[in-house]
Amino acid sequence: MIQRPELANNKCAVDREQERHLVFAVQRGDPEAFRELYDAYRERIYNLVTYSIGDPLQTQDVLQTIFLKVFRGLRGFRFQSSLSTWIYRIAHNECQNYHRAWRAPHVPLEAILGSHHEIDTRPVSHEQHARQERDVILQQALMQLPFKMREVVVLKYVEGLSYDEIGRVLGCAPGTVASRLNRALTELEERLRPFKRLL
Amino acid sequence: MSCWHFSLRRKLLPYIEGEIHEKDLKRLERHLLDCGLCRDLLLRLRAGHQMAQKLAHQVPGGDYPPEIEAMMAAAGEGTPRPRMRVQAWHDWVERFATPGVLGVLTAVLVAQLALLVASNRDVLFGQKSAATIKTSDLDLNDFHVLDIADLKLNTEPHIATEGYVTDVHTDKEEGTVAFKLVESQSAPGPFVVCEIMSPIKMAAPRDGSYVRVYGVSRYDAQTDRKWYEVNPVLDIAVLKH
Ligand SMILES: [Zn+2]
Repeated sequence: MIQRPELANNKCAVDREQERHLVFAVQRGDPEAFRELYDAYRERIYNLVTYSIGDPLQTQDVLQTIFLKVFRGLRGFRFQSSLSTWIYRIAHNECQNYHRAWRAPHVPLEAILGSHHEIDTRPVSHEQHARQERDVILQQALMQLPFKMREVVVLKYVEGLSYDEIGRVLGCAPGTVASRLNRALTELEERLRPFKRLL
Repeated sequence: MSCWHFSLRRKLLPYIEGEIHEKDLKRLERHLLDCGLCRDLLLRLRAGHQMAQKLAHQVPGGDYPPEIEAMMAAAGEGTPRPRMRVQAWHDWVERFATPGVLGVLTAVLVAQLALLVASNRDVLFGQKSAATIKTSDLDLNDFHVLDIADLKLNTEPHIATEGYVTDVHTDKEEGTVAFKLVESQSAPGPFVVCEIMSPIKMAAPRDGSYVRVYGVSRYDAQTDRKWYEVNPVLDIAVLKH
C-alpha cells in the first residue's frame, strides 16, 4: 500500500490550463468537476495530513474539513495564487488548528501502518519485509519531530514542493524554510543514527 | 567554537542537491575548507536528506467520505449542503478498526456520530429531512456528568457539565462559536470555555441562559490560556432560558 513519491505525484498532477477549466466548472456547480478536483488532490493532502496528525480517525476528520473548505472557498477563488498553493495552505491551516485546539493523546503511526499490513495477509518476501520495517522506522522518527519541522519535511520530500512553494504555503520566507529544513534534517539524522544500517 | 555564516548554512542543502548558484558555490566551498562546524553540518544534512528521500508516500483508501460525497451530490442542486449518510460513514470508520485502534475507535465513533447528528441538526428536524437517524443515537448517558469546578480532576474524554452562558463569541473567519460557562453569574468562580467547531452547525446558546453542554473535555495549555475546554461541543440542552 506504500508507493514511492515520484510515482504517486505524477499520477495526480493536473496542469495549469486543466486546473482553470476545473475551477470554472466547480464554480458553475458541476458535480463531476468536484469529483475530479477531489481525486486530483486528495492523495497529496492525505499525505500531508497523515504525517501532520498521525491519528487515522482524526486525519479523516481533518481531511474532510479541508475539502469542505476547499469546495466552499472555490466559489470565490480568483487565481491570485496557484490552486495547489491555495489548497495546501488551507490544509496547513487546518493541521495547525488541529494542533492548537486538540491536544488529543498521540496515536503512534504503527496504528496506521498496522492497518495496511494487517489487511494484506499475503506472505511477504524478505525484501518487502525489510522495506516495511524501514518505512516504519523512518516514519516514527519523523513523527517524533515537532509539527512545524515535520510539516516542512513532508512538503519537500513527500509532496515534492520547492522552497518558494513551501514558503507560500506556510506564509514564510524561503530562507526560513531552509533553516527549518536544516534543523529538521539534522534532528531526523540524529534520531535515525542508531538505525543507519537498516535504512 | 561557533559559526555565524547563517546564510551560507542555508545553502548547504541546495549544495547537496546540486541546486546551488555558481556564486554561492565558490563562497560555500571556500568556507567549508575553514569551518569544521559547517563540514559537520554538511555530513549530517546529507545523511538526513538521504533518509528523508526514502519517506514513503501513503495511499488513502478508495471511498469518498460521506460529507464529501454529499457535497458533490449537492453541487448540482445549488448550494452545497452536507447530508446524512450514516451507513457510509460507519463503513468508512470501520476500515480503520484494527486491534490497535479499536478501543479508541469505540469512543470516537460515539463522538463522530454525535458530530454528524449535530452538523445535520437543521436537516434532521427541518422539512427536508431525508435522514433516518434519531437523537437517541447519541447516547447522552455515556457522557460523564460533573461540575465545572471538578473539571481539573476529570480524566474522562466525554463529559457533560452545566452552567450559565456568558461571553458568546463568533469567529466568522474560523466559523467557530465559543462561549464561557460559569457556575455563578454574580460571583467570580470556575469557568469552562466551550467551542462549537466548524463545520458543525449548532445554534449558539443565549447569553444568560442555563445550559448543559455535552462534548469532549480538554485543557488548553497555551500560556495566555491555561483553561479547561469543552471542545468540540456535541450537544447543548437548554435548561433555563
Ligand atoms: Zn561555518
